[in-house]
Amino acid sequence: MYLRGNEEVIALHEEYLSVSQGEFIVIMGPSGGGKSTLLHLLGGIDRPTRGQLHVNGVDLVSASDADLTRFRRDNIGFVFQFYNLLPSLNALDNVILPLLARGLCWKDSRQRGSTMLEQVGLTNRQKHTPGQLSGGEQQRVAIARAMVVEPCVILADEPTGDLDSTSAGSIISLMLDLNQRLGVTFIVATHNPDLLKQAGRAYQLVDGRLNMLQAG
Amino acid sequence: MWILGYFTFKDLLYDRLRSLLTILSLAVVVVSYLLLTSLAQALVTLSRQAHVTNNLLILSANTIDPMDSSLDEGVLQTALKIAPEQIQLAFPILFRHLTIAGQIMQVRAVALEEMSTSVGLTLVQGDWPGGNRQVVVSEGAASLASWKIDSTVNIYGTDFQVSGLVRVDENAFGSVWMTYPEGQQLFGTKRGFQVGYLSLVPSADPESVRTRLLADPRISSGYSVFLEHAFTNGYNQSNSNLLTLSGIMVLVSLLVVTFGIYNAISLSLAERNHEISQLYVIGFTLNKLRGFLMARAMALTLAAYSLGWLVSLLFINHQRLQPSVDLIFQALRLTPSSSLFGLGLALVFAFLGVWLSSRRLMVLNPLTGSDR
Repeated sequence: MYLRGNEEVIALHEEYLSVSQGEFIVIMGPSGGGKSTLLHLLGGIDRPTRGQLHVNGVDLVSASDADLTRFRRDNIGFVFQFYNLLPSLNALDNVILPLLARGLCWKDSRQRGSTMLEQVGLTNRQKHTPGQLSGGEQQRVAIARAMVVEPCVILADEPTGDLDSTSAGSIISLMLDLNQRLGVTFIVATHNPDLLKQAGRAYQLVDGRLNMLQAG
Repeated sequence: MWILGYFTFKDLLYDRLRSLLTILSLAVVVVSYLLLTSLAQALVTLSRQAHVTNNLLILSANTIDPMDSSLDEGVLQTALKIAPEQIQLAFPILFRHLTIAGQIMQVRAVALEEMSTSVGLTLVQGDWPGGNRQVVVSEGAASLASWKIDSTVNIYGTDFQVSGLVRVDENAFGSVWMTYPEGQQLFGTKRGFQVGYLSLVPSADPESVRTRLLADPRISSGYSVFLEHAFTNGYNQSNSNLLTLSGIMVLVSLLVVTFGIYNAISLSLAERNHEISQLYVIGFTLNKLRGFLMARAMALTLAAYSLGWLVSLLFINHQRLQPSVDLIFQALRLTPSSSLFGLGLALVFAFLGVWLSSRRLMVLNPLTGSDR
């Protein structure tokens, strides 16, 4: 809930959503329907004003800012619509940032980062900065960065929203492949109907309320 | 730690124009600090070297350059009559400012027996002028003109041989000294001279003797009387004031480092709030982010200090190598202690700048790191 002038706006009603390891869940809905808010709450970026929220056994409502930082670091991988890579760093350096935040050593971080970039098909683009990569490649780097810490869930907010249809199809295939091959849990907020066809469970989020579109 | 250094370096390199401008602006501050400190230390050195006596000088009234003064023996006799108990000796000095070996120097002619006694010259090498056409030169003059013992000094078309090097007070840094008869012969003067030197008894108070002389119309009507080292005394007092001012300016100049770093980091935080929040979102703690900002500021400060130090060193060495009669430039030094002290202060002030600017990290909203 937030205030728009003096009016209270409920971004997301209290809903029950249980996600199991290895699931691929799609959240669809109109803009402003609460998709991003839901992902921000699940990822510990935002806090609910009411209700309960437990992710991987962590109570995100009562957690301190430092607790939330640790929670994000250890449990969540984020993929955003606009990639959010650091422009000063090359692809490999961007990918290993979460590992360094965890305190992993330089050598191991680079080794894992390099392996992860191979997983997303960017073996030969490791030394390129975001400015030298296409949108699709940048999103692949972002996915590699999200996955490198082996999080319990990857939260992807409109991951294909800024891509052309070819790149979008490629990113969708990559996420599904990673989900099936490595068992990575994905919760994806999207407008892209192509993803709906291939997803396990899918929900429609309208006016802050979740409605199941298809069961897994 | 080196991982932090690696990312700091990459970040500074990415933002290279601003990094360079920040380094340059901070380096200007560092140069100001180092030159001010060197100047203050030079002033201290010169003050300590100053040899202050209680003697008096008489010159023609209203002369700016002693060279324009014109006196005769009568005024010395008058002075002796006015204060016979206080003045133990009165003798004339011929004085000229001349360009010799391309340098403006003082040429002074004084009785040989007074050179080491009343005037206070100290022979550091060679001998006092003994024969015809011999002079002693100050260390400063020797340095400026590359003179050694037995070198030839041409004055007014006449060659003189350097018989010795003397140490003088700062009023005569670049000076050539000859005996009074040599001076009379060189300048073609039989009776007139420029400066009357009044050597007082040790117990005499020079200021009261000066007042007494000036109270007599025979002196006050056409002459001025100065304490020999009035300039030096005033100079030392000025030095003392300058030192206090320098100390304040040094602190102020380094305080600018705080504001420079504050501005640089604040600007970086404002412009790159999204990137920093992004790091926060993916798990970097506020302390780690502050550590990154600190490393960035320290790198900028170290680079700026190194550059400023190098520029200061080159400037000071360049000035010291220049032939100059300016004692200050000759006394300038860049000491390790002042350099390290400045570096320490600069880092402390940089730390302060980061601390001030990074307070906004405490209200960092991770939502800024998302696409919102």
